[in-house]
Amino acid sequence: MPSPILSRLSLFLACAFIAGCSRPLPAPPVGKVAPIPAGAEVTEQLPGKYGAMLVTSMPGDIATLNPLISEDQSSSSAIGRFLESLTTLDPENGEIIPRLAKSWEISPDGLNYTFHLREGVCWSDGEPFTADDVVFTWQSIYAKELDPATGQPVIDSETGKPKLRFATRPAYFHLIEGQEVSVAKVDDLTVRFTLPQLYAPFLLFGGGQDILPKHVLAPFVEDGTLLDQWSINTAINNPGQLVGLGAFLLESYRPGERMVFRRNPNYWRVDSAGQRLPYIERIVTSIVGDSAASNIAFARGLTDVESIQPDNVTWITRAADKFDFTIHDLGPSSSTSFVWFNLRNGSDADGKPFVAPHKLRWFQDIRFRQAVSYGVNREGIVQGVFGGRASPLHGYVSVKNAKWHNADTRRYAFDPTKARALLAEAGFTLHDGRLQDAEGHPVEFDLMTNNNNNLRTEMATVFAENMASLGIRVQLQFIDFNTLIRRTSESFNYEASLLGLGGGAPDPYASKDILMSGGRLHLWNPQQTEPATPWEARIDELMRSIGREFDETKRKAAFDEVQAIMAEQQPLIFLVTGNEYVGIRNRWQTVVPTPLGGITWNLDALWAELN
Amino acid sequence: MIAFILRRLLSLIPLLLAVTLLVFALMALAPGDFLTPIKMQRDIPAGLVEQLQRDFGLDRPWYVQYAKWLGNVLHLDFGYSWSFKVPVADLIGQRLFSTFLLSFCSMLLAWCVAVPLGVLAAIYKDSIFDRVSSFLAYAALSVPEFFLALLAVYLAARTGWFPLGGATSIEHEFLSVGAQLLDRMHHLVLPVIVLGIGGVAGLMRVMRANFLDAIRADYVQTARAKGVPEGLVMFKHVLRNAINPLISSLGFAFSGLLSGSLVVEIVMNYPGLGNLIYQAFLREDQFVVLASILLSCVMLVIGNLIADLFLAWSDPRIRLENQDS
Repeated sequence: MPSPILSRLSLFLACAFIAGCSRPLPAPPVGKVAPIPAGAEVTEQLPGKYGAMLVTSMPGDIATLNPLISEDQSSSSAIGRFLESLTTLDPENGEIIPRLAKSWEISPDGLNYTFHLREGVCWSDGEPFTADDVVFTWQSIYAKELDPATGQPVIDSETGKPKLRFATRPAYFHLIEGQEVSVAKVDDLTVRFTLPQLYAPFLLFGGGQDILPKHVLAPFVEDGTLLDQWSINTAINNPGQLVGLGAFLLESYRPGERMVFRRNPNYWRVDSAGQRLPYIERIVTSIVGDSAASNIAFARGLTDVESIQPDNVTWITRAADKFDFTIHDLGPSSSTSFVWFNLRNGSDADGKPFVAPHKLRWFQDIRFRQAVSYGVNREGIVQGVFGGRASPLHGYVSVKNAKWHNADTRRYAFDPTKARALLAEAGFTLHDGRLQDAEGHPVEFDLMTNNNNNLRTEMATVFAENMASLGIRVQLQFIDFNTLIRRTSESFNYEASLLGLGGGAPDPYASKDILMSGGRLHLWNPQQTEPATPWEARIDELMRSIGREFDETKRKAAFDEVQAIMAEQQPLIFLVTGNEYVGIRNRWQTVVPTPLGGITWNLDALWAELN
Repeated sequence: MIAFILRRLLSLIPLLLAVTLLVFALMALAPGDFLTPIKMQRDIPAGLVEQLQRDFGLDRPWYVQYAKWLGNVLHLDFGYSWSFKVPVADLIGQRLFSTFLLSFCSMLLAWCVAVPLGVLAAIYKDSIFDRVSSFLAYAALSVPEFFLALLAVYLAARTGWFPLGGATSIEHEFLSVGAQLLDRMHHLVLPVIVLGIGGVAGLMRVMRANFLDAIRADYVQTARAKGVPEGLVMFKHVLRNAINPLISSLGFAFSGLLSGSLVVEIVMNYPGLGNLIYQAFLREDQFVVLASILLSCVMLVIGNLIADLFLAWSDPRIRLENQDS
């Protein structure tokens, strides 16, 4: 009989169970607490109370805590809690403001950037933060693979350039037209960057690079394992190694369950009374399956702060009194949705044209694209798909990015009459309610979008109905995301598509891959060797000047023109942008919601009464 | 016996080769790869995508990738997870305990409830108890697991009696050992019930049928005729014979120990292996997918082996050595 075995098994299980549960908390990853730095940033924050615990949830687990390889939202937000950069964007007005660098100078020729670091700042383990850390960070990013025998850089046979030791996003991102920025230490608190050519967004993109601790990571650059460091294994077994300059430190991590952050006692910002921030003692972040589950946790009073999806606002609001929270409406978000037509000339390897020639003629006709844009009922999408919790999108830059938004571009308010007039002008005629082109081809096209995004499939359905009233037949294809990307960016075998793009950095140059004709995300006709149309050539020229120009007024003027061209030409027919909502429990003080920073941008200043 | 076990384990080799080859081919046929979603992000330079493609070996034909992977596996190197950048073995190890605990508890539940119920239903055949328990068993078997899991989540959300997913609560780290244990059990209640209920129903039906078969056997008549008390007949003679087929099902249960809870874990947000594997499939994180499939195959074969061994051990009439002759 199996009973003795069963009892032995259960005994073993009980032991394993206890062992699995009672693993002691690792010691807080804190060395000595350094005095408040001389160069501490004194904020206007009125003194708050210490000791509260903030509970949040996060849709999706982290993949890594190494800023060089992080690709997903969850990892990046966790990294943002414990690492800092030289500069950052002011979430209230979009200007670049000091962070670890208290000030900087740009040489008259615009090629030398000198950053002055704050004095007396220490890493979370008590080691001083100096120019060496900044230089180390940039040298690690640019590090080259060395031949062990000769000590010379290894040349990559595919590209003909020295092979990178660590192939990471920053290593490519911090190249200016393929050339590196050189970084030199002037003294302990001064770093100088020398650019190979004029590059206006350097203060934002270069200054925004997370700084890594040399005293912790230097050995791993030596032995080539830098990218294996600060993995989830580190987070589980040795969170103390995650030394940072941010307001919080990782205290513990359980995969798939939660992360616990603790206050960094060596943080370098103080309130108006000279007390060290942050006030929050611990942040507990539960890892949940998706944003719906995360929203439910907030609605049940389990978490303190949450970004709420537009379609959940109504029912979550009903619990506001019971759990004492407030939902703030931050207005239009920075994510976009749009329809575009395949404008690519030419044919595939088998000689088959990417787009049937007569259809390509319609798509390449500006009047056709404008007519489609006039025929889209954006207000209808806002009401029908988003229940009113979205805003029509008229141009490339959302109104959320107030600094760069151009309000004076051509607008396409819903106007079927105007759409029909434009189509008639372009030679299209109506027969029995169906639109035909001059050669008698019925006007119809396939529109694809990814099948795992409800909002997109619903928007596509409304779009198809709008087109039907113009006599255009749209066949909807809801397909797998990977298939869609392959068709839009590799085989170019499609007619029209509906997608969206996330916000990205607010600087116009962050859009160069989308707007410039050689870009990978120039969706309607990517990676062109020569601009296919005069207006794309003009956008290229304007974008290049935005990259080089320092004068903010001139940059703004150039980007205004880019937006005007995009509005006139309608290569991307923008639809709507969902509004952003954040909820927070009312016990939290110093809550300042801003469209750019959301509600947690000043996490180091939030405080609550202890109960 | 040893020869039998060895033969079984050797048969694993062609099986694993075939299965992994198939998985590799299917993943190569599926549109896109691990890097496809990255391509749609802003400010990912084209150079980086190409470099990563070369680093991951995604620019080579799938059979070359397969050969390379196979070579590494022979050295017990199961590769790196592309999304987590840690060895696959570490990743699976981190989740193993949670899933094992969940599956084991639900198996325990299924056995402890199903065996007595099945026996009672057989002894009191055609009584009202038998009818009701049969009805409930069929009902339980026909409700899909994911639906039951959704109902459980709804119950938890509605009443607040049970936690909404997870394996431990937020305060877990700050609790005493005893409280931690209770906390963990509290989180296990719903997933264990959802996962175990199908097993209860199935096992109970099998137990009932076996018991009825055994009751009608000649030796029972003999025992009764000898005047052996009825209780002794039932539990000493009938039960021992009726439970034999169930013992072998213990082996099959073993094979599902790590992979059987996938759906429940995903719906109820339980931080186990199933959740990890599901995410890996979605992201096409190749080596995690392969390692998980290897693990399932090995568990299946070993499970079957254990079932056979158990059977031989509990039923002296079965002799493994002579099976093939």
